[in-house]
Amino acid sequence: MTSPLQIELKAVNKYYGNFHALKNIDLAVPSGTFVALVGPSGCGKSTLLRSLAGLEETSGGKMEIAGVDVTDMPPRKRDVAMVFQSYALYPHMTVAQNLTYSLRIQKVAKAELRAAAEKVAASIGLTELLDRYPRELSGGQRQRVAMGRAIIRNPKVFLFDEPLSNLDASLRVQMRKEIRALHDRLGATTVYVTHDQIEAMTMADHVVVLRAGVIEQQASPMTLYERPTSKFVAGFIGSPAMNFIEGKICDNGTSVMLEMAGAPKLDIVQKVTPNMPVTVGIRPEHIRVAPSEECDFSLPVTLIETTGTMSYVSLGTAPELSLMLTDRTVFSVGDNIGLVVDKARIHLFDPKTEQAIT
Amino acid sequence: MTSNRIQYTLLGIAVIFALVYLFPLYWMYVTALKSGTEIFAIPPTFVPNEPNWGVFGYVWEVRGMGKFLWNSLVIATGTMIITAGLGTGCAYVLARYRNVWIDVALFLILMLQVLPASLMITPLFVGFSQIGLLNTPRFAVILAVSAKAMPFFVILVRATFMAVPGELEEAALVDGNSRVGAFVSIVLPLAKNGVLVSAILIFMQAFGEFVYSKSIIQDVNLQPASVGLNAFMGPNTIEWNNIMAYATIYVTPILAAFVLLQQRIVAGLTSGALK
Repeated sequence: MTSPLQIELKAVNKYYGNFHALKNIDLAVPSGTFVALVGPSGCGKSTLLRSLAGLEETSGGKMEIAGVDVTDMPPRKRDVAMVFQSYALYPHMTVAQNLTYSLRIQKVAKAELRAAAEKVAASIGLTELLDRYPRELSGGQRQRVAMGRAIIRNPKVFLFDEPLSNLDASLRVQMRKEIRALHDRLGATTVYVTHDQIEAMTMADHVVVLRAGVIEQQASPMTLYERPTSKFVAGFIGSPAMNFIEGKICDNGTSVMLEMAGAPKLDIVQKVTPNMPVTVGIRPEHIRVAPSEECDFSLPVTLIETTGTMSYVSLGTAPELSLMLTDRTVFSVGDNIGLVVDKARIHLFDPKTEQAIT
Repeated sequence: MTSNRIQYTLLGIAVIFALVYLFPLYWMYVTALKSGTEIFAIPPTFVPNEPNWGVFGYVWEVRGMGKFLWNSLVIATGTMIITAGLGTGCAYVLARYRNVWIDVALFLILMLQVLPASLMITPLFVGFSQIGLLNTPRFAVILAVSAKAMPFFVILVRATFMAVPGELEEAALVDGNSRVGAFVSIVLPLAKNGVLVSAILIFMQAFGEFVYSKSIIQDVNLQPASVGLNAFMGPNTIEWNNIMAYATIYVTPILAAFVLLQQRIVAGLTSGALK
């Protein structure tokens, strides 16, 4: 990356009493990058975002925005804009007043205010609604106002705190695209918090996976998908989730024996210490159905869920194995089907440390 | 069907209670208009035979009600300003922070509410006299009544502030405002109804205040209408129509204000009235 850093966090820590919410967070975000913070609830992603905005005090470490140390700065001096989960529109102000609130604080002339509001409103399709109050708007429109309020300031960094979680599914998919398009058009630097890994994968250039206050892995979406460094990331990224099967490396070190009915053996690409116990990770989309003579193993079908474009098939073993098929299923529940695993895409994890074996 | 009947029965009971409670008020109005003999007539008349409208002007003149009401107004206004001015900030802090000390503070405030004025007046009187506050007796009463009214105000307004989402304030902070700026431009306008209504209730309470004024204000020229009314009623009083006329002049403005603002008061008290 050659562009200058817009955000730099060094060893940021945060305690709530005895609870260690953020543990030594290091993060470097080049200008113009869309970063997603993703993780299960309580992992610290919102705390990290709020610390960046200055709404939470950090307990240690250093934060820089556009080269300026903002660690101890109040929010108003940081020049960041934030879109809240609840949108946090000011209920007693019209859309136009909501949009121009930050400009009015900066004492921008009245004549310019309306023009600025109209320009932003036009760019996100709010022109008709400028004189309405937030309570008169639909969820999607409120969302747009919240974004408009951020855009109008032309801030150094955009912060989004789960902005789509209150919208219905189809609107969410549409807003996902709009937010990313907006980011590209403005050449903005964006930090986006979500618990939805699909949002993170589809929108971001760089995804940071957090777990219990620690950055578990940060990389581009495809790197996370293809080379997760831990079992947690592997299970979190991708839908449906990766299958994990316990197993043991064979004497030769180039194949693994799975702990399931028939104890099937899979050849593996990498070379691993013989006889080592491992957790084998296989994504549902990397298993396909095959005629019995060329299959790796066969299992009975327990459930078929069809969406039209795809079928999710559950297979009877413990723990349950799932696979994802794009072609029509020609079998039904109860049938034994032969399966082939894409050997190049098998992930191996150490069962104790849960780290990837490379 | 049966639930309907129960509802009507309950409504009937409520109406009867309301009538019983309001009867003295009605009696005040009719007695003011009656003549001396009609007041003591048995059986009593419920509508005066020859209403004497001149009684109000007469009482106003003779008792010098202008200055009494002015003093009441001064005390009520002063109390409202001090209570609202200090109490609003206090309520806001109590609404926004959550910790053990806040709980302690809330408990102490509720304790204050429990203590009756008649109990507090002796120590207050001694204290005020020692620091020379009795030289400005109306101000002394304003202070005493404010202290008494503060807990009620703080508890009511705190509830209003708690209904304002914290995220709105945070949005204002990120949008570039200071804490004070965010409070003034975002939180206060949204809590306006609750603060106003509570202030009005405090005003009405202070307008009718008696115990502190009676004990602290010796100078007749500085006494409020409540004390003036009390002085009007001697042990051998017979001019009930004049006393009732006095009471009518005293209460009617407050009643009128209450009726006019009734809807807003109820809305403000049951607030959460944000969306």
